[in-house]
Amino acid sequence: MATKTATSDVIPWDKIDMLLRHRTGRVLLAAITALLVYVVLSGTGIGPEETSTRIILSMVVGCLLWAHLVYGAWLVKRELQGLFVIWGVVTVVFFLRFLTPGDPTIALTPPDASTDVREQLARRLGLDEPLYVQYADYIWNLVTLDMGRSLRTQVPVMDLILIRLPATIELAVAATLVAMVIAIPLGVISARRRHKPADYSATLFSLVGISTPNFWLGIMLILYVAVTVDFLPTGGRSIGFAAAWGGLLMEGDFDGISRWFAQLILPAITLGTFFTALLTRLTRSGMLEEIGKAYFKACQAKGLPETIILYKHVLRNTLIPIITVLGLQLGTLIGGAVITEFVFAWPGLGRFLINSIHSRDWMVIQGIIIIIGIGFVVINIAVDAAYAYLDPRVELR
Amino acid sequence: MISARLRRSLKREFRQSRMAQVGALILVVIFITTAFAPFFAPHDPTEQRIGTGTTEDMSYLPPPVFSTTENVTVFEDGERVTREVTTQGNWSFVLGTDRHGRDILSRILYGGRVSLSVGLVGAALAALIGVPWGLAAGFAGGRVDDTLMRWADVMLAFPSLVLAIALVGIFRGTPFHTRAIGDPFVWAANSDFVPNILIPRAGHVAEMPESMTFPVTVTIVVALVNTVWFARVARGEAISVREEDYIKAARSMGTGKLTILRKHVLPNSMTPIIVLATIQVAAIILLESALSYLGFSGISLSWGQDIQRGQSDLRRGWWMATMPGLAIVAAVVAVNLVGDWLRDALDPSIEGEGGV
Amino acid sequence: MTEILRVEGLTTRFFTDEGQINAVEDVDFRIHEGEIFGIVGESGSGKSVTALSLVDIVEKPGQIVSGRIWLRNPHLADSIRSDNPDAVDGEMVDLRSINPRLRRALRGSAFSMIFQDPMSSFNPSITVGEQIAEAVEVQRRAKANPRSTASRTQGFGLGQFAMATVLPSKRFVTPAGRDRAIELLELVGIPDPAQRAEEYPHQFSGGMLQRAMIAQALASEPDILLADEPTTALDVTIQAQVLELLEEIRDRTNMTILLITHNLGVIARTCDRVGVMYAGEMVERGTLTDIFRDSVHPYTQGLIGSIPQLDQVKGRLQPIPGNVPSLRAAELGDRCYFADRCPKAMKRCLEKPPMFDVDGSEKHRAKCYLAEQPYDEGDALPEDYFDG
Repeated sequence: MATKTATSDVIPWDKIDMLLRHRTGRVLLAAITALLVYVVLSGTGIGPEETSTRIILSMVVGCLLWAHLVYGAWLVKRELQGLFVIWGVVTVVFFLRFLTPGDPTIALTPPDASTDVREQLARRLGLDEPLYVQYADYIWNLVTLDMGRSLRTQVPVMDLILIRLPATIELAVAATLVAMVIAIPLGVISARRRHKPADYSATLFSLVGISTPNFWLGIMLILYVAVTVDFLPTGGRSIGFAAAWGGLLMEGDFDGISRWFAQLILPAITLGTFFTALLTRLTRSGMLEEIGKAYFKACQAKGLPETIILYKHVLRNTLIPIITVLGLQLGTLIGGAVITEFVFAWPGLGRFLINSIHSRDWMVIQGIIIIIGIGFVVINIAVDAAYAYLDPRVELR
Repeated sequence: MISARLRRSLKREFRQSRMAQVGALILVVIFITTAFAPFFAPHDPTEQRIGTGTTEDMSYLPPPVFSTTENVTVFEDGERVTREVTTQGNWSFVLGTDRHGRDILSRILYGGRVSLSVGLVGAALAALIGVPWGLAAGFAGGRVDDTLMRWADVMLAFPSLVLAIALVGIFRGTPFHTRAIGDPFVWAANSDFVPNILIPRAGHVAEMPESMTFPVTVTIVVALVNTVWFARVARGEAISVREEDYIKAARSMGTGKLTILRKHVLPNSMTPIIVLATIQVAAIILLESALSYLGFSGISLSWGQDIQRGQSDLRRGWWMATMPGLAIVAAVVAVNLVGDWLRDALDPSIEGEGGV
Repeated sequence: MTEILRVEGLTTRFFTDEGQINAVEDVDFRIHEGEIFGIVGESGSGKSVTALSLVDIVEKPGQIVSGRIWLRNPHLADSIRSDNPDAVDGEMVDLRSINPRLRRALRGSAFSMIFQDPMSSFNPSITVGEQIAEAVEVQRRAKANPRSTASRTQGFGLGQFAMATVLPSKRFVTPAGRDRAIELLELVGIPDPAQRAEEYPHQFSGGMLQRAMIAQALASEPDILLADEPTTALDVTIQAQVLELLEEIRDRTNMTILLITHNLGVIARTCDRVGVMYAGEMVERGTLTDIFRDSVHPYTQGLIGSIPQLDQVKGRLQPIPGNVPSLRAAELGDRCYFADRCPKAMKRCLEKPPMFDVDGSEKHRAKCYLAEQPYDEGDALPEDYFDG
C-alpha cells in the first residue's frame, strides 16, 4: 500500500522470502555467509590470526545466522533473557568481592611493600575510584568484549580464558557422549527386561553412580586403572583436539590420536559417570511410562519391528522429559568439570578458576564465571529448541 | 501432617522393598556411630603417632591382612644401606593409618559428623528459605510470582558448584567461616557433674577431642545454592492447590491468605517437599565433600579433606584415599535409597524405581 | 460364505499378585468372510482382552492359557502342512500352534486393530502420515522378504536404525509408503489428505483421527479388522459417521470386521452376527435377529431391556440388578456366573451350564439351561440365596 522504494523493485523480496522459508535455503544462506565472513577475515587481516580460529569464528557466525532465521523472535527473546541472567550473575559477583575482607593489593605486592607502593598499585588498577565508577567501567568494558587484565600476570583475561576453553569443552562433550552412548541403551534394556538380572544390575549401577563423588571416582581410577595400565596417563593434557585429529587426517599419525584418546578417557569417565547414572534412571522410568501408553499397543498391533517401536516411537517420547531434566542438571555437569579438571590436572577453565580463587585474582574469577554463564545460557537455549523439535505440541514463543 | 494412610503406605513399601531396608539400615548405623563417635571411635582421630625415638612409628599402616613393601635407604655405620621394609597391618587400626599415624576409622567416624550435620542443617535451611519463597510466589501469582521466580531462574541458571566455590572462596577468610562446637559426651566424661558410671567407656571418651569444627559458611552456601529447588517444588504445589475447590471456598469465606497458606497449602505440599529434602541431603553431602576436597571448607577433619590428603599419598598406600570415599558412597547411597522409598510410598502417582 | 476365523476355547488369564484373574474363559465363535461380527458386553467382561489375545499382544502378567485361533490362510496352510500337520485344517491355520516368530510376522496382515481412544493410540510426536506409512511399510517389507519378517527385528535392527538416522534412503518408511498413506487418508474421507498427512495427531479432531486410525488399520490390508470400541470416545454425530465408514469399507472391499462395543445400538445398526460376553465368557451368540428378538439368555434379554427405545412406549427401563462380578478366579466358583443377578435362576444353575444349541440351530447358541428347558418356577433359587 505504501509507495515502493527503488530497492524493493531491484531486490526480489518474494523470492528471498521463499528461499528463507525453505529448510535448504536457510542452510545455504548461512553457509554462504560463513564463507563470506571467512574470506573477509582472511582478506583484510582483521580479527584472530590463526586460521583455525578464523574458521571457527566464521562457522559460529553462520550457525548464529541460521538459528536466527529458523527461530526468529523467540531466539532474540531468549538471548535477551540470557543476557539478563549473565548481568545478574556478574553484578552479584562484582559486589560480593567488596564484601570480602582484605585489601586485594596485599596479595599482589611483596609482603614488605610499603603503603605507598600499594596505593600506587591501587590507583593503577582503578581500585581507588568509587564503587559505582568501577562497576560502570567494568560493565562498559564487558560490552566492548574486554574483561580486563589478570591482577597477577597482567595478561588480558580474555586471552587466558580462550587458551583454556577448548580443553574444558572437549572434556564436557566427551563426558556427555560417554553418558549418552552408555545410558540410553542401558535404560532401554533395563525397561524392556524389567525385574530381570539385567534390570537389577542397571538399577544398582545407576544408584551407585549418582551417589559417588566424582573427585573420588577420579582418584580411584588413577589409583587402580592408570597405575596398572601403562597406556593411560594419570593426568594432564599433552595434545589438543585439533593437533591430534589434524595429525591423523593430514599425516596419518596414529601416535597423536592415541595419546589424545588415552589422556581423555579417564577424565571423561569420571565426569560422565554421574550423568550416565542419572540418564539411565531417567530413561528407564520414562520408557516404562511410555510403554504403558496406548500407542505402544497400537504399534505392536501394526506389526512394527521392535527396533522401530523402542527407538523411534518410545525413546523419542521418553527423551522429551529427559531433556528438561538434563537442562536443569547442566549446572552439575559444569560443576563436575571443575572438579574433574582439578583431579586430573586438566588445563581447562575449572582448574584455572580454583587456582584463581586461591590466588584471589578477581578479574579472572569474574571472567570465568561470565564465560561459564554464557555457555550455560547457550546450552539452555539449545535444550529448549531440542524440546520443541522433539515435541510438536510445543511451540516456541 | 502424616496421615494414617500415608503411614500404612510407608510401612507396606518398606516391607516390600529390600532396597529401602538396606538403605535404612546403613543410615541408622551411620547415624548412631557418628553421633556417638566418641564411644565408637577406637582412637583419638587427631592423635599423631610418628616415630620419635621413644614412640613407635605408626604412620602409613595398611589395614590388617594387607601389607606394604618398600625400599628404605638408611645410614648404618656411615654407609648407605638399602633395605626392604615390610609394613604389616595392625588390628588396632582396622582401616589403617595416614601419614601422621592417625587412625583412619576414627577419622571417618568424626568426618561423618561433619558431612551428615552439614547435609541435614543445609537441607533444612534450604527448605526454610525456599519453601516460603515458592509458596508465596505460587499462591500470590501475578507480578509477585514473576519477580520471585525470575530470581529463581537466575539462580537455577547457574552451576551451583561453581557458585558455591566462588562464594566459599570469597568468605574463606572471614572469622565466622568455621565454628567450634563442644562435644557433649567428652564434656560429660570430663566433668564432675555427671557420674562417670553413667557413661560407657568414660575413660576412653574423656580422651577424645573436646570439640568439633563446623563449617558455617559452607553450610550456608550449600543451603543457598539449593534453595531454588525447594522454591520451584513449593511453587508448583501451591499453584495446583490454589485451584482446588476447598481453597476457593475458604477464600470466599474471607479466610486470610496467611491462614490458608499455613493451614491448607503447606500441609498439602509437605509430601513432595519431604521427598525433595531427602534427595537434597544426599546432594549436599556430595557438594560439601567436593568443597572440602578442594580445601575451601576450612576444616581439616572431614571426608573430603581426608581424600585430598590421601590423594597426595597415593604412592604410599591405597587405603588413605579409598576408605573415606567408600564412607561417602555408603552414606549417599543410603540417603538416596531412603529417598526412593519415601517417594514410592508418599507419591503413588509416580511409578517407582528411578526417576528424579 | 467362507469361514475366515474360528476361535475355539480361547482362555486368557492374568496372574497378578492379588490372584488369578480369568479375563477370557473358554470363548468360541466363528466369523465369515465379509461379515461384521459384534461382541457386546459390559466393561470388564473380557471383550478387549479377547481382541488383544487374537493379535497376541496381551501384556504380562496376562497370558493366553489355551485355545485355538483358526485363521483362513491357504498359502500359509500349504507351506506348513507337512511340517506341522496339527496346525492346519484345510485352508485354516491355528495361530496358537505355529512358531511364535511366524505369528508375530502375521500381526499386521492377519488382524489390524482400531483402538478406542484415537488421541492416545497415535504417537503424539510423529506425523499421522508417517505412522500410517509405517503400517504400509511393514506389509510391503513382509511381501518383499517373507523370511526376515519372522525375526524379532524383521531385518531392521539397531545397525539399520543407526544408518537410517544418517541416510534418508535407508529409512524404514519409503516415499512409496508415504504416498500410499495419503491414498488411504483419502479413502477414509479425510479432505486435503496430502496436507493432513504432514500434521500431528494433536492437530486432528477426534473424529478425523479415528478415520486416520481406520486408514492405518487398512494400510496392512488385513484379513480381519478388529475395532475395539471405535466410537466410544467420539461425539454422537461423529459416531454415526465412523460406523458408516466401516460399513462402507466392508461393502466396497468385502472386509471382515470384528466390532467390539458395549453399545447395543451400535451392534443393532452395523452387525450381521453378535456374540454376548459376560464375566469373560461368551454366553450367547447368533444372528442379529436371534439376539434381539429370540434371545434365550436372561443376560442378553436384560441388556436389550435396558436400552431406551423411542418407538415403544414402555413404562421404564429395566436395569439388570447387581454388578459385574469380579473376575478373580477364587471368587467365581463353579456355577453360572450370572446366576446371582438372574431373574430366572434355577437350582440347576449352580452347576456350570454348557453351550446349548438353541432351537436345534448350530448358528444360535447359548450358555444357559433355558435353551434346553423352559423356566421352572418350582426349581427356582431362593431370592436371597447369594446374599449370605
